[in-house]
Amino acid sequence: MAMTLMLIMIGLLLLGFPMMIPLITAAVVGFVMMFDGFGQMGTFVQQMMGGIRPASLIAVPMFILAADIMTRGQSADRLINMVMAFIGHIKGGLAISTATSCTLFGAVSGSTQATVVAVGSPLRPKMLKAGYSDSFTLALIINASDIAFLIPPSIGMIIYGVISETSIAELFIAGIGPGLLILVMFSMYCLFYAFKNKVPTEPKASWSERGRSVRDALWPLFFPVIIVGGIYGGIFSPTEAAAVCVLYAFLLEFIVFRSLKLGDIYKIAKSTGLITAVVFILVAVGNGFSWIISFAQIPQAILESVGVNEAGPVGVLVAICVAFFIACMFVDPIVVILVLTPIFAPAIQATGLDPVLVGVLITLQVAIGSATPPFGCDIFTAIAIFKRPYWEVIRGTPPFVFMLILAAALIIAFPQIALFLRDLAFAD
Amino acid sequence: ANWRYAHEEYEGDVQDVFAYKFKEYIEENSDHTLQVYRFGELGESDDIMEQTQAGILNFVNQSPGFTGALIPEAQIFFIPYLLPTDMDTVVEFFNESKAINEMFPKMYAEHGLELLKMYPEGEMVVTLDEPATSPEEFSNKKIRVMTNPLLSETYDAFGATPTPLPWGEVYGALQTNMIQGQENPIFWIESGGLYEVSPNLIFTGHGWFTTAMMANQNFYDGLSDGDKKLVQDAADFAYTEILEHIDGLADEALAKIQKASDKVTVTRLNEEQIETFRARAPQVEKKFIEMTGKRGEELLNQFKTDLEAVQNN
Amino acid sequence: MSENSPEIEDDTGSYESGLPGFLGTIDEWIARIEAVMLALGVILMAVNTCVNVIARFVFGEGLFFSGEINRILIILITFAGIGYAARHGRHIRMSAIYDLLPVGGRKALMIVIALFTSLVMFFLCYHSYGYVDTLQSRGRILPALGFPIWTIYVWVPVGFAITGIQYLLTAIKNFTSRDVYLSTGVVDGYADTESEV
Ligand code: NA
Ligand code: NA
Repeated sequence: MAMTLMLIMIGLLLLGFPMMIPLITAAVVGFVMMFDGFGQMGTFVQQMMGGIRPASLIAVPMFILAADIMTRGQSADRLINMVMAFIGHIKGGLAISTATSCTLFGAVSGSTQATVVAVGSPLRPKMLKAGYSDSFTLALIINASDIAFLIPPSIGMIIYGVISETSIAELFIAGIGPGLLILVMFSMYCLFYAFKNKVPTEPKASWSERGRSVRDALWPLFFPVIIVGGIYGGIFSPTEAAAVCVLYAFLLEFIVFRSLKLGDIYKIAKSTGLITAVVFILVAVGNGFSWIISFAQIPQAILESVGVNEAGPVGVLVAICVAFFIACMFVDPIVVILVLTPIFAPAIQATGLDPVLVGVLITLQVAIGSATPPFGCDIFTAIAIFKRPYWEVIRGTPPFVFMLILAAALIIAFPQIALFLRDLAFAD
Repeated sequence: ANWRYAHEEYEGDVQDVFAYKFKEYIEENSDHTLQVYRFGELGESDDIMEQTQAGILNFVNQSPGFTGALIPEAQIFFIPYLLPTDMDTVVEFFNESKAINEMFPKMYAEHGLELLKMYPEGEMVVTLDEPATSPEEFSNKKIRVMTNPLLSETYDAFGATPTPLPWGEVYGALQTNMIQGQENPIFWIESGGLYEVSPNLIFTGHGWFTTAMMANQNFYDGLSDGDKKLVQDAADFAYTEILEHIDGLADEALAKIQKASDKVTVTRLNEEQIETFRARAPQVEKKFIEMTGKRGEELLNQFKTDLEAVQNN
Repeated sequence: MSENSPEIEDDTGSYESGLPGFLGTIDEWIARIEAVMLALGVILMAVNTCVNVIARFVFGEGLFFSGEINRILIILITFAGIGYAARHGRHIRMSAIYDLLPVGGRKALMIVIALFTSLVMFFLCYHSYGYVDTLQSRGRILPALGFPIWTIYVWVPVGFAITGIQYLLTAIKNFTSRDVYLSTGVVDGYADTESEV
């Protein structure tokens, strides 16, 4: 049965069906095989509804909405200008600023796609003008946006937290270390690239310009304070922090900066609603799918036949990374989390792995996956907003993907990269 | 045949032990096999209940507290100080009570469920950020409760601020002091490590975490007389075993907790202190009757009659 | 500092139905209602969650029904949104192989995809109607708000039905016109060099 379901899914997926269809079809076939007909389809619907029931999922649309308001208003630009004023002039400074801006914007945005739009749109023209090749620029933008997935907030972490019953607050803080590690790695590569290709440096901003940029960015800099400070200060739950971000973004853009008109809120909310629906229908059908494989005891069978149970903690982590990496080449990250997490759950439990560490690695893998061909939502976003052909967008990615895999290996070897801050924040 | 059984706890927890004892008896005394599904494998509490009603699952174990959306009267177990505190009397209560053994099965039957056993899992223990012995000391404490209006009413009556929160966020919320306390049986406080972040244990004696094991009624009615007896005997066997299991479980868990942390304090309320909490119970009873009407009132009265009977023994 | 963005983009601003005459008018009205449900759902969710936070600070106690309101809104957004996403060709798909095909192949494959997807949506519409019906007979209620749970699920079959109709129309559109259509209103996006007018 496992084999049948897998073949159906892969087949429909490769043919280009909307991603909910392979999941639904495989699940329905599973139900028919298990219950000899359509008699128990009610349970599939029940589990779909169960998938979108957890209260923590509310954080997803809220963070999307906050980031959307910021991107369309001025907050994102102000943050980027501040980064540029400080490090724009060093060797490879524009590229490093791009990676740093992705990190900083990532402290507000929960999705990689929003980051591609917010940071890529203003900085790509500047990088091209400064002499960076377009393939390098595009690859940097779509891969550095991965950092936004690791720096809290993160939609991937929220969904992993919900389905694995892991604390979202702990996941959030554990993502900071790996996010910064990747920023350092990317910055070093940018430096190397700038030297090798003799990219000229930019003029240095004066201290008064820097002062002004900081003053302009002061308001948006409160977002990370709300999220990180609010959650770890015991003021908000992650969901509440998300809603407060929306409120804060609204106050900034509509009242303080006056960059948006009240009528815009309708369009922004509609766009957020659309993105949410497209993600949540996958969460819903993904939950229905994982119910039937759980009912049929498929995860246990697969793990046993592959011998993961004997592999020990490191073996399980490596297996998780490989499986998620491959799956993310073809499937949307959210779907991968929904389908694979329950499959690995028994192995994670059996080996006593820290679910937070697993969550960080999974988030990293799916972040990498959003920029790996052939399927990558960041790739599609870049194609759509930069109007560049597919091949051009992905040509420069291999060095970045290599660095990201290295980062995953480092986290497996030194889990403290992720867990240090978590243990510090949640120490007694 | 292969029968399916789902419960709402993790490996090694009380419901899991019960399920595996039930399985052991069935498989040793017949050719039937039993597949046990643990928490989350087939969805949440509500989900496995519906799946049992739909006949996908043959047996389900669900705490009456969660059954509230289906059988509001089952929330009676959230009324504080309705059950006795000491183990022997509780066991006797569950064995003898007319409310439990006659009234509840009828209510479950209305929803297509054959109630096989109701049993206690453990005494509810409150953990707080500081020791407390009176409702006054509960005031302004945010205490996490499951999403249930009657349970909220209980903590409201105790003077605290009930705060509904999903289980996954409880540990972190205690750690960051977003909430100052929670309630659970002691073995959960131990296995969930909650004492690490909420080290002051208060034995208020206000209630027992109770649970119920039932079968899909069509399935049960369709069984041969021999199989019906098998199922009943297996449930009785698991019940006897589970009472033995939980006896001493609380003490073991407490010993483990005290060994793991020296910040832990244990407060056992004396009769006088309990009285100050018990005095707040009528408010919750009133709310219960408001929510469940005449039937709830009858059930509540029967509970009290049953309780008197066992306490006079 | 960058200049103010003059008009914010709204990439799903307009929708023209593929249906003729009166049916088209109905379809366009449904699209408008969906859009309002999406936007209003998100705004209400933000307001509800924020009010709950503020209530927790001011009165020391959150609103006990806040969670259930969000649960209702999330169902509303999801099932109003799937139809809307179908109209605008926004459902996520892996089109790497599809994109390699010549126009004729893409058209044929898109017809198959749209018809099958439509069938699956009607199938789920039927079974979710059945589920809602079962729930109604079981009498389960929302613990805090107190009204029957089935009422918050009525959007589910409706959303599936509308999505199914959209995909069916997409198939028809591909049959009757020269270009390849991702949805009734959206011509296949990239690799758009060969045949589009
Ligand atoms: Na982020
Ligand atoms: Na990918």
